[in-house]
Amino acid sequence: MIINHPILGPRDAAEFVYLGDASLIDRPDWQAEDAAEQFYKYGYLRDNPAGQHQELWYHEQGDRSWLVVTRNTLSHEITQVELARDVARAKGRDT
Amino acid sequence: MTQVENIGTAVNFVSEEAQDRTPTSFAGQVNRVGTGLTNPGQKMSFTFNGRKMTGFGGDTLASALLANGQTLVGRSFKYHRPRGILTAGSEEPNALVELRSGAAQEPNTRATVTELFDGLMAKSQNHRGSLNFDMMAVTDFASPFLAAGFYYKTFMWPKAFWEKLYEPIIRAAAGLGSLSMQEDPDSYDKGFLHCDLLVIGAGPSGLMAALAAARSGARVILADEDFLPGGRLNAEGLEVNGAPGSMWAANTVAELASMDNVRMMTRTTVYGAYDHGVYGALERCTDHLAKSDGKPRQVLWRVYSKRAVLAAGSTERPIAFGNNDRPGIMLAGAVRTYLNRFGVVPGREMAVFTNNDDGWQTAVDLQNAGVELRAVIDSRDVDAPVHLPGVRYLRGQGIVNTIGRKGVKAVETTAGVTLPVDAVAVSGGWNPNVHLTCHQRGRPQWREEINAFVPGGVLPVGMAVAGAANGAMTLAAALAEGQAVAEAQLTDLGYRPVAADIPEAQDEPSKGAAYWHVGESRTRAWLDQQNDVTVKDVKQSFQEGFRSVEHLKRYTTLGMATDQGKTANIPALAIMSELTGKPIQDTGTTIFRPPYTPVPIGAFGGRSRGKDFRPTRLTPSHRWAEANGASFVNVGNWLRAEWYTKPGEKVWRDSVDREALATRTSVGICDVTTLGKIDIKGKDAGAFLDKVYSNTFSTLKVGRVRYGLMLREDGICYDDGTTARMDEDHYVMTTTTANAVLVYRNLEFARQCLWPNLDVHVISTTDGWAQFAVAGPKSRDLLRKVVDEGFDLSNEAFPFMACGKVTVFGGTPARLFRISFSGELAFEIAVPARFGNSMIEGLMKAGEAFDAVPYGTEALGVMRIEKGHCTANELTGQTTAHNIGLGRMVSQKKECIGNVLSRREEMIREDDVKLVGLRPVDRSLGLIAGSHFITKGEAANMANDQGWMTSVAWSPNLGHSIGLGFVKSGDARMGEVIHAVSPVHGTEMDVEIVSAHFVDPEGERLRG
Amino acid sequence: MGEMFTLVCAPPLAGYEKRFGTISLTAPKDLAVVNMAIPLGGEAKALKAVKTGYGVALPEPGTSVDTKKGDARLVRLAPDQAFVIFTRAAPDAEEVVAGHVKKALYLTDQTDVWTGLEISGPGALAALERICPVDLHPAHFAVGDAARTVMEHLGVLILRTGEDSYLLLSASSSAGSFLHMLETSIENVT
Repeated sequence: MIINHPILGPRDAAEFVYLGDASLIDRPDWQAEDAAEQFYKYGYLRDNPAGQHQELWYHEQGDRSWLVVTRNTLSHEITQVELARDVARAKGRDT
Repeated sequence: MTQVENIGTAVNFVSEEAQDRTPTSFAGQVNRVGTGLTNPGQKMSFTFNGRKMTGFGGDTLASALLANGQTLVGRSFKYHRPRGILTAGSEEPNALVELRSGAAQEPNTRATVTELFDGLMAKSQNHRGSLNFDMMAVTDFASPFLAAGFYYKTFMWPKAFWEKLYEPIIRAAAGLGSLSMQEDPDSYDKGFLHCDLLVIGAGPSGLMAALAAARSGARVILADEDFLPGGRLNAEGLEVNGAPGSMWAANTVAELASMDNVRMMTRTTVYGAYDHGVYGALERCTDHLAKSDGKPRQVLWRVYSKRAVLAAGSTERPIAFGNNDRPGIMLAGAVRTYLNRFGVVPGREMAVFTNNDDGWQTAVDLQNAGVELRAVIDSRDVDAPVHLPGVRYLRGQGIVNTIGRKGVKAVETTAGVTLPVDAVAVSGGWNPNVHLTCHQRGRPQWREEINAFVPGGVLPVGMAVAGAANGAMTLAAALAEGQAVAEAQLTDLGYRPVAADIPEAQDEPSKGAAYWHVGESRTRAWLDQQNDVTVKDVKQSFQEGFRSVEHLKRYTTLGMATDQGKTANIPALAIMSELTGKPIQDTGTTIFRPPYTPVPIGAFGGRSRGKDFRPTRLTPSHRWAEANGASFVNVGNWLRAEWYTKPGEKVWRDSVDREALATRTSVGICDVTTLGKIDIKGKDAGAFLDKVYSNTFSTLKVGRVRYGLMLREDGICYDDGTTARMDEDHYVMTTTTANAVLVYRNLEFARQCLWPNLDVHVISTTDGWAQFAVAGPKSRDLLRKVVDEGFDLSNEAFPFMACGKVTVFGGTPARLFRISFSGELAFEIAVPARFGNSMIEGLMKAGEAFDAVPYGTEALGVMRIEKGHCTANELTGQTTAHNIGLGRMVSQKKECIGNVLSRREEMIREDDVKLVGLRPVDRSLGLIAGSHFITKGEAANMANDQGWMTSVAWSPNLGHSIGLGFVKSGDARMGEVIHAVSPVHGTEMDVEIVSAHFVDPEGERLRG
Repeated sequence: MGEMFTLVCAPPLAGYEKRFGTISLTAPKDLAVVNMAIPLGGEAKALKAVKTGYGVALPEPGTSVDTKKGDARLVRLAPDQAFVIFTRAAPDAEEVVAGHVKKALYLTDQTDVWTGLEISGPGALAALERICPVDLHPAHFAVGDAARTVMEHLGVLILRTGEDSYLLLSASSSAGSFLHMLETSIENVT
């Protein structure tokens, strides 16, 4: 596969490490009353869509950036690649 | 009725002078009637089964064998039937030979694509005794018992027979060819190529596509599996622009080769279509040479293309009829290839059997070559599409049986006509080579007009198909489509195609009928000659309920092995479609997967063989260690000294005991460079560390070190190490050797995805610093000789867990940490790696007065067990902080990875396992790692399991075996004697639960 | 005290130089590498400090520039990260860079982390084709361009230093494998 890095352009997927669902960015508030329940869901529950999926890839043999890749799990078509840091900030992660 | 001349004249198979010669003028090449496109000036000697033969440059092994009259070339897989050459290409099911000798011997090489070289040695395979008299041919007579599903039905019972009887027999009888059982002497390489347009196949449409792209300025790769580009243009007598097609091909190739933006790759098979325009290609670099001269035999290329044109052509299929597998029975298109390209005929008295117009072209070419043509047999009730003076036309007939054993001698038709022949050309129509279109989600579609599957469904991204592969079955159509498809691809990429004329050529007659097998046949009619699958087998598969094509394949083995049924699949599934009454479109094909043709495992391995399987990392003191008796152990990619053998030491324990004792009594030195080192910088570095460690680091003072524990988000411990604060905004983290990469990755995840607004930067410095542990009561004295004056090493100025920047040996910058893994007074000192090898010499020299020793990973392990420190043996990925007695290190007062889930009830149970020390009650016994603990008096079973032994060592300091282990509520069971059982070793012994701190439990030494 | 012993400087590939037909492979002498990290919130100040200290602007990620005096090459690896590559024998490269950019960026000496080999001459590209997945066609990878990628399982920073020359940096601990990789590639194509 080829991942079109938003800064560096198209790179072979062999340079990357796959992590999984991009929902891992949405780390719950540790002080929430139901923190245990939220962390349980965060840690263990994932969707496994046949189709469009947002997932985290790490450019380990590259610039060390984490990327959010929108990929169709049926066709492997990649429709969007973003810097995870930008995504995290846009989601309002404030520290 | 068309005249012969109108469908093209075979012009290039027999030169004027060759026509005047008798066959004997090609010394021994009895079936050579011309030179075709070979180079008769380049004479090649070769042997087949030891028999000396000659051929020409430009021959394949198959063409040379045929030229020498060798029509019997092998025995079939299952029934050991005599077999000849069926095709002239990579689809060949029969002509598989063993090439070369010794370690270089390669089985299952297709003679039809093996380029002849001088000195080539080939052997036929799959027979016991000689090729002519194969003792295993008896299986042919047993064939009624060996039909489809035979193995499934027969070898099921009795069960006991499997291992002793059935398996050895099957193993001895099965398999094609034999391996040399020696290491492959050749080398292989890989590579990466990039292009705008990849053109797969250099036939008429491929050449046109490449030309259109090249002239527009695009970067083009043109790959063809053959050594002579041109495809069918080299095999036919068809004309392009009024000249022989092969000449047009040669001129076009020359033009392409002269252009900088074109990479012409012959002998290169594009074997797989992968995601996003990536293709796999195998280039055979030295297979056509007698010797590789140290160069890679083959290169496996990964081709990154923006667009691709698949111009893979088509493959002819046979018609199934009784005994249609005799040597001498060949596909009609292959007959033309041998005749026109190589100047070779398979026989002297031939018949043509066809269900389509194209087969007639073979009759035309054979007649022009002077072969005695006994008849053209057409299954259709049609007028002859060409006029062949003096040739018998058997209209609406088929061959029902053939006579002969090691070669065809006669054929019988459905109308009872018997024709004496020594070769037969058969054409059942042509299948577009759709394989690569299916490597992702493509599903071929049936096209009625040509009675064949064409590409359908979703093609690989960026791929378009042109020419015969796309169902354009005539020359003029293929040329035009090649250009048109390439232009569309280029326009898509933003190039402006250069307008060019399409060369002049004709659309040769190509009508055909959907006729698959001669139903009147009474004898076995072969479909898959490689796997010995007959029409009857397909019928049986149907009767027994294996009706889907995928079931048919598994039940009968149709379409398996090296040729993947390229000639067999479509006729077989057409027969299945007749049986089920379902249209062929609904019957479908099996799914084509890469590789298109076989790729040697060696090519997939590339250079990754032996010690080159992965990189080797050396510690900075490696050279010194080598020179000082070190044995090395692989730790990931690292090589670490495990111990240093001194003269007189006989076994490893001698060295390890000495090293551990000397360290505890005086001083030892160990290269600990392999531990991960990560520089953490930024004004929020402390806040960041608080989040990734379970304990707090923002409060750590500059010049101090703290032990840190890292949890996964699920609350399990995954790494530990010490982190030093070198400056307000600068920490140096150490990780375990094994987890250095993972921890770094997780730090980047934390700083980019979880806390993206912290000012913190991480960078690895693992390789940058040569770091040495200097441990033992004399370590401070030793370092006083190393660290430059002015730095106070006293316990007051530089206490346990202090760190600082120092200089050593007169000014070289270094980092000093007072940390201890051994439990002794100890330091770690780091210098820039370029000084590492010299540094250990300097340390040893400074230690001479104290009898300093270097120690390896084994002594390190002994001392850490004596001290009760955890490593990966204990941190298994299932271990909680609670298990190792560090539960209080998980802060609940701050946000950090893993602390929320670490509070889960099951993870903090009081009766959970706890890390303890263990020693044998009988001190003479050696503990065994992996033993499980059973409470005294209870039965040794899993229900009574109390935990397990994680690490054991012989303690030279205590004089007996010691161990670490996890025991249920172990912290409350100190002094209890428990049973340690190892059913694997057949041992059990009483062990006492003790503190994990065997040495200096109060930690006085390391603080001293 | 340290007078009794003098540390010998011995980087892993020091002094390596070999010709293979038209291709030569050389370990550059005294190659120093310092990492510069741009502080979050201090970007403007950092970029200004680079401009002031080196006389050139920090280039875009994936490219590099020579400093105004030609005494170093600045290689931008990521939006917030760049390498300064220059020649320096003494183990004080970090201080040398600090002298240029002051405290506007976080500096980490990487000299000993990496080892360098320069491959040059006609045919260099053919040798690199066997190991480098990045497209090195001049239209995609011009002189001065840089990329971090993976070759034969090794992380490599490749920098085009001329029409026919490339500087490759890889981890110093695996220097032997790194050299073997390049030598094999060259031998396989010459």
